[in-house]
Amino acid sequence: MDELDLLKKDWNSGNTEFKSYSDSDIYPMLHKKSSSIVKTLFYISIAELAFWLLAGILPYFLSSNFKEKLETSYENPLFLGLSILSYIVILLFIYLLFKSYKAISSTDSAKKLMENILKTRKVIKYYVIFNLAMIFLSIPLSLYFEYNENPEFHQQIIEFSTNQMLVLYGFIILVAGIFLILLWLFYRLIYGVLLKRLNRNYDELKKLEV
Amino acid sequence: MNKELEHSFVEQLQKHQNIVHKVCRLYTNNADAHNDLFQEITIQLWRAYPKFRGDSKFSTWMYRVGLNTAITLYRKSKRRINTQEFDTVEFKIKAEEYDDTEEQQLKLLYKAVHQLNDIEKALVFLYLEDKDYREISATLGISEVNARVKMNRVKKKLRTILNP
Repeated sequence: MDELDLLKKDWNSGNTEFKSYSDSDIYPMLHKKSSSIVKTLFYISIAELAFWLLAGILPYFLSSNFKEKLETSYENPLFLGLSILSYIVILLFIYLLFKSYKAISSTDSAKKLMENILKTRKVIKYYVIFNLAMIFLSIPLSLYFEYNENPEFHQQIIEFSTNQMLVLYGFIILVAGIFLILLWLFYRLIYGVLLKRLNRNYDELKKLEV
Repeated sequence: MNKELEHSFVEQLQKHQNIVHKVCRLYTNNADAHNDLFQEITIQLWRAYPKFRGDSKFSTWMYRVGLNTAITLYRKSKRRINTQEFDTVEFKIKAEEYDDTEEQQLKLLYKAVHQLNDIEKALVFLYLEDKDYREISATLGISEVNARVKMNRVKKKLRTILNP
């Protein structure tokens, strides 16, 4: 006899008695909090959205100096364009996120369900990449802006020797690079831990198709 | 959600709860984990229930949501990190002091099944529940041919685990 058939016989024999929940045991279960990864993913995406929105808005309200600078920077079409772009991206992100969450359904096949969750994770990933790219762009841009608008800074830069300029460039790139890598690692860690099992199982299903 | 819907859901789940218990049995190895997964599957079933049209049997629909929860959605909660694992079958055998070869073999079989990965367990589960390859392939989202291939590999793997 096949091993599995032996198991099947036992499995369906009712030999194993499970705890039988009554109706009154089940009712409270319906209202308990879920600990599903979709819920966690949802919280992370909301936190993501809130973080980048606050990072953009808070300095404006907290520092009048920054507010002033920002207002003058809007006179520059490049800055204005970038700001408008970032708001469009936020709206687009909210829309895509909403759409991909709606698509996640526990009644789909296992593979489809996994694909929809991974799609949602991708939406968040692209949003993060966009924000990181914006930070990376904004560092040289704000220096350039400062150079044009701030006479003191302008004078300082002009007095720099070529070597000093190289050191300055190198330093800026290094700091920006380290900052971005740290943020990126942080994201990898969060999603890596959260989706490790899902990725493994998805690969297992995917492997069959090759 | 209205009370009537809740009532009909609880009634049906209560009747078919063994399906959920069986999923938990394969995917967990201690009582706390079992209850935790049972809880999560119940939540997922309840959430999906308004969309349950009744065009399939309630029990068939439960297999899908139950397995999806166990394989994909469920995130082990912190509540049960310190609990000790036990082998239910082993426990049962010891208690009754069985030394029958079939019982012994079953005990090893259950242990071997627990060593399979999540997807392999799903195949075994559906097989044990007497589902045909059409249903297995639809539940997992793979082709029928691949479901057969995978099932044969699982059987082979079980044999290797049992007779290393």
